[in-house]
Amino acid sequence: MPGPHHARDAKVPGGINIKAELALELQGDAFPATRYSVISAARSANPAERSQAIDTITTFYWKPVYKYVRLRWNVDLDNARDFTQDFFLRLIEKDFLGSYDPVKGRLRAFLRTCVDRMFLNQSRDAHRLKRGGTLAQQALDFDEAEQELSKGAQKVDSPEDYFEKEWVRTLFAQAVEQLRVECESAGKNLHFQVFAGYDLDDSDPKPSYANLAARFNLSVTDVTNYLAFARREFRRCVLEKLRVMTGSEEEFCREAQSLLGVQPK
Amino acid sequence: MMNKILVGIILGAILGIFDGLTAWFTPEVRSQLLGIVIGSTIKGIIAGVLIGVFARKVHSLALGIVFGLGVGLLLAFAIAQMQHAHYFAIMLPGGMVGLIVGYATQRYGAIPVKQGLSAKSGYGDQ
Amino acid sequence: MNTTKWRWLSDQIISQLQAGVQFPDLTGTRYRAVRFLARGGMGTVWLAEDTVLGRTVAVKILEVDFTTGELMARLQREAMVLARLEHPGIVPVHDAGTLPDGKAFYCMKYVQGQTLDQSLPSTLRERLRLLQRIAEPLAFAHSRGIIHRDLKPANIMVGPFGEVLIMDWGIAKIGRDALRWSGTSAAITAESDSLPKEPSVPEVPATAHGKILGTPGYMSPEQARGDSDQIDERTDVYALGAILKFLLAGDLSKKESNLKPLYAICEKAMAEQPGRRYSSVQELSDDVEKYLRGDPITAYPEGVIERTLRLYARHRTAVVLVLAYLMMRILFILFSRR
Repeated sequence: MPGPHHARDAKVPGGINIKAELALELQGDAFPATRYSVISAARSANPAERSQAIDTITTFYWKPVYKYVRLRWNVDLDNARDFTQDFFLRLIEKDFLGSYDPVKGRLRAFLRTCVDRMFLNQSRDAHRLKRGGTLAQQALDFDEAEQELSKGAQKVDSPEDYFEKEWVRTLFAQAVEQLRVECESAGKNLHFQVFAGYDLDDSDPKPSYANLAARFNLSVTDVTNYLAFARREFRRCVLEKLRVMTGSEEEFCREAQSLLGVQPK
Repeated sequence: MMNKILVGIILGAILGIFDGLTAWFTPEVRSQLLGIVIGSTIKGIIAGVLIGVFARKVHSLALGIVFGLGVGLLLAFAIAQMQHAHYFAIMLPGGMVGLIVGYATQRYGAIPVKQGLSAKSGYGDQ
Repeated sequence: MNTTKWRWLSDQIISQLQAGVQFPDLTGTRYRAVRFLARGGMGTVWLAEDTVLGRTVAVKILEVDFTTGELMARLQREAMVLARLEHPGIVPVHDAGTLPDGKAFYCMKYVQGQTLDQSLPSTLRERLRLLQRIAEPLAFAHSRGIIHRDLKPANIMVGPFGEVLIMDWGIAKIGRDALRWSGTSAAITAESDSLPKEPSVPEVPATAHGKILGTPGYMSPEQARGDSDQIDERTDVYALGAILKFLLAGDLSKKESNLKPLYAICEKAMAEQPGRRYSSVQELSDDVEKYLRGDPITAYPEGVIERTLRLYARHRTAVVLVLAYLMMRILFILFSRR
């Protein structure tokens, strides 16, 4: 049985108007009345809110930054760790986000430019920033990041594409984890396992619906329905995180279209 | 549209008449021109009928041409044999006429259409 | 802050997730989506499996922003009418309904093959025969009061056995005759009298119709103006003429000398005024048939020399044989005089 169509071919230009679908998605959703964005929260006068926002940004971006610096600038492990820590510390201290304007471009493009600039400045000044501080609020698992690096592409043809890809990888991984937790708490472990067995399986040949049905002792119809449920929820998780990470509704819609081929309103 | 036999007859007759008329250029037979023309026309018609019937039965351009050539040569040979002379001068044009009629009856003329069987529903006895 | 516990997602998994998110939710139907096929008029088309009959089908999901019940009813009526357009050249509709997320869908035969813009026959004769095979289902649809309105090479599928199918009737105009003919209930027939005004093509957002809505080369002037009242069979005649032009433009296996009559057919079919075009696709097809037989066509008035050359081309062998016979006769006469 043929597997799902390759994403490059599956993305449909022009988008899909899913007004009705979004209405269903938002039913019972916990979106706040005002639009929360890490961009605006990062500029808040409230230190706690600011700190939380930076934390969120760090969660999404530290791995892409680390991997990017390692491959793009050919920096060794220790220096890359230092640099990554320094970058996010400076994000807070120097208020990099103050100069970010969502109208002019995506946050990740802005951050990547900041990374490049900071790296070039450090190289020009020919000194490393001392390991003065670490990001206190969260532990960054650099060993895991290094392992991931060894599995992925070993050279950067296009810096923009590479950084974007890693950001997408992080975003999707976060969404998958959220889905797993939600399925677990809702007693839908099996739904997640079916989803993991199909959409999170990159083996060749790909398992068929019949294989999964046999593995989990389900009917093929159940496999189809569980997969549909999990994909719907996964999409919701991605959109939730994306919404938080974007500065405006327009940016959110653009990103949703670009990433998922959907056009929520 | 004309049927193939009619095409053969008309073309055979026309070419037969033309064939006969060219005898005028041979002074020694000029006095027998009328007889030659009538004979040539009849030969052409006979060839036309035979080739036309063949064309109705056999739908093959190559075979039609070969059959026409054969009939034309045969009839021309018969004429030449009666005179015991001018074999080449009679048979070559005769063969060509047969060839032309053979081609024309294969290429033109209507093919008879067979009556079809009555249509029945494919859903069995009802 | 959550720490990701799930294993690393490879590039392939990322792609699979992106593809999976776009999969339609066909829960509650007998179909299971297999993969994305294409974007057509007003929606996307997916390869699916009919889980009851075990056959492969194509499911078209209409993405029109239906905010009114009238438009939804119209879409469903369209599927019903198309389901009754039973012709070998029109993709049959098997089923129609509404998905759990409220989108309308219909299920049709899955056609394997290539569209006309992907693959062309190599000889002129084959291309002209193909055009005639396109005209047949169109003429049938017209006889049922349905105008396609989006005819173009990308919507013509040529199957593995040379069969032609016209796809994507998504923006077809359905005349009141079609509704009466379709045998729909009296209630629906009565409703047809209060149908909303037929939306003209330019009013519909391009994104809802797919990548090539009314490609300029195939869209008639009255369509481009949005003059929906003027849209009739001759709109499709225009498009068919444009398709003929497309067929003539592609490389042919053999260099053809006399294409002027065919371009004359194109010109007549694509006349600015509908009144100057062929009145039906059958008329256009008849002219193409005449061209193939070597007969004079209505769209192209021949001069004496052109007629002679055409007749010579048609009967070349016979002419050569007769001339050879005459030449032989002349030679005999000359030799006998010596």
